[in-house]
Amino acid sequence: MVLSLRVLRPSVPTALRAVAVLVVALLVCLLARNLLLTPADATTASVPQNATMEAQLGIRFSRVAVVGDGGLVTVTYVVLDAEKAQQLQASQAHPPVLSSESRKGSTSRVSLMKQGHSLRAGQTYYLVYENTRGALRHGERVTITDGALRLAHVPVL
Amino acid sequence: MHPALRARARSLTAAGAIGALVSGVLLTTPHAASAAMSEGLACDTSSSGTFSLTASDGYVSTPDGNSIYMWSYGASSRGFQLPGPTLCVESGRTVTVVLHNSLPESTSIVFPGQRGVRANGAPAQPQFDDGGSLTSLVQAAAPGDGSVTYTFTAGSPGTYLYESGTDVSKQVQMGMYGALVVRPAGHPDQVNDRADSRFTADKDYVFLLSEVDPDVHLAVERNQPIDDSAYTARYFMINGRSMPDTLAPNGASWLPNQPYGAVVHIKPYDAATNPYPAAIRYLNAGTVNYPFHPHGSDERVVDRDGHALEGPNHEDLSFQKYDLDVGPGQTLDVLMDWRDVEHWNALTNPVPTKLPAITDQDLVGTDTWFSESPYLGTKNALPTSITSNNQCGEYYHIAHSHALEQATNYGATFGGMMTVFRIDPPNGCQAQ
Ligand SMILES: [Cu+2]
Repeated sequence: MVLSLRVLRPSVPTALRAVAVLVVALLVCLLARNLLLTPADATTASVPQNATMEAQLGIRFSRVAVVGDGGLVTVTYVVLDAEKAQQLQASQAHPPVLSSESRKGSTSRVSLMKQGHSLRAGQTYYLVYENTRGALRHGERVTITDGALRLAHVPVL
Repeated sequence: MHPALRARARSLTAAGAIGALVSGVLLTTPHAASAAMSEGLACDTSSSGTFSLTASDGYVSTPDGNSIYMWSYGASSRGFQLPGPTLCVESGRTVTVVLHNSLPESTSIVFPGQRGVRANGAPAQPQFDDGGSLTSLVQAAAPGDGSVTYTFTAGSPGTYLYESGTDVSKQVQMGMYGALVVRPAGHPDQVNDRADSRFTADKDYVFLLSEVDPDVHLAVERNQPIDDSAYTARYFMINGRSMPDTLAPNGASWLPNQPYGAVVHIKPYDAATNPYPAAIRYLNAGTVNYPFHPHGSDERVVDRDGHALEGPNHEDLSFQKYDLDVGPGQTLDVLMDWRDVEHWNALTNPVPTKLPAITDQDLVGTDTWFSESPYLGTKNALPTSITSNNQCGEYYHIAHSHALEQATNYGATFGGMMTVFRIDPPNGCQAQ
């Protein structure tokens, strides 16, 4: 970065300067991209919590991740209250909606993993969503909505 | 050793393309490599044929939130991982594996199917104590940083387990296993020496199947005796992960010690544009049969235990199979393609019912992997009673152990030995 910036001296011809600006822009771009992709960033970004949501749904969301080579999303949650959580599992037609905070996109299509067995408090369970039209992307953030309940800024791993 | 965890980034965005131009200078950090979202076989290769492995302990996570103490082999330069690194070598080459031991007891590696295996220069052979009792199937590395050097000539092309030869039932249960992929000399795109075993270059997958009884692991962690009579496997894994972690990419950040995913991602067979199948290599490091099958497709079994299925005059003895019974210690190499047999098309060949009753795409009740349209590459709205799982009209077929207790996470369905095979439209996944 520092080396690249030093190229930008007034004596440098315009064309060269343009190239240098482009190079710097690229480097910034790449650096940002690289930072976004480092595991350190992804693992340290914590999932926000919403006490009202937890009390009503009986669960705490613990991870949102893009999987299936980009086509699927896994949402994991810890069961706090087994009875309330059972209702969430059972309301298959109305799973929580995942809305991208980076683009106009969301997914509310969940499949496969309703896990029709009794839930146990303290255990982690999951839902698999389709990633409708690539709504969610690695390194971005998502808002989880369930009725009037909202959990914003959840990192997408 | 030259451990090249070959990470293949699939989404070549514009930024990525530009990045590739300067990546030699800027982006070749270990972080970038391990964070790349990737699928498929991640090989450790070595131009000198030498690999350095360290037997050590660590923890893996299960989807239900459990953390399990394991032993495994890791590349000495990277550290603990489950399963051990997938070693890819060429048939007939001399391979050297240096094993370092940082476990609290002796350990070793057996290489079934390899030729002329030697340990520290001597023939590899069973070891006995002074009283004549067997201590190890092969020369072992002592605890406290002992080491042993194995050499062998890579056997016939195919896939092999490598695993502990010392206190076998305990150490293999603890996680001491990995996959060895032997490629035909000069034909890295074939499973074996037969031309008809050719597969699409980067559509190569390892499915190393195993099981975990967490009580054994807790006993070892606490240095308590193991109750063999109470053995009950609770977790079932593909490449050291259980569903839904099997869907996650190689090197997923939340699975730091479980680097290998298990999603097969292909396109339909097409004689002109996609003529070769994918290769899937099944290995069983567990104690019982794992009857594994993908929904919606047979697979062609071409190798068993690293040997091509052919007759004395090279007659092709490969066969199509739906349910792949992978026995303990066994390996099966299969070829799989996906053919658009019905050619359903919304305009030219519409499906004659509202929704085709394709059982393989139904899972539980109204759950389905249906693409909101019966046509490959098309998305439509479905009746509200039907859920779907779809990005661009692609299909997902579930693939799992048909012994359903093996498709659970400590009894919770679904989980365990389960993943998906993803089939994209012929022109790729374009968002609709
Ligand atoms: Cu099945």
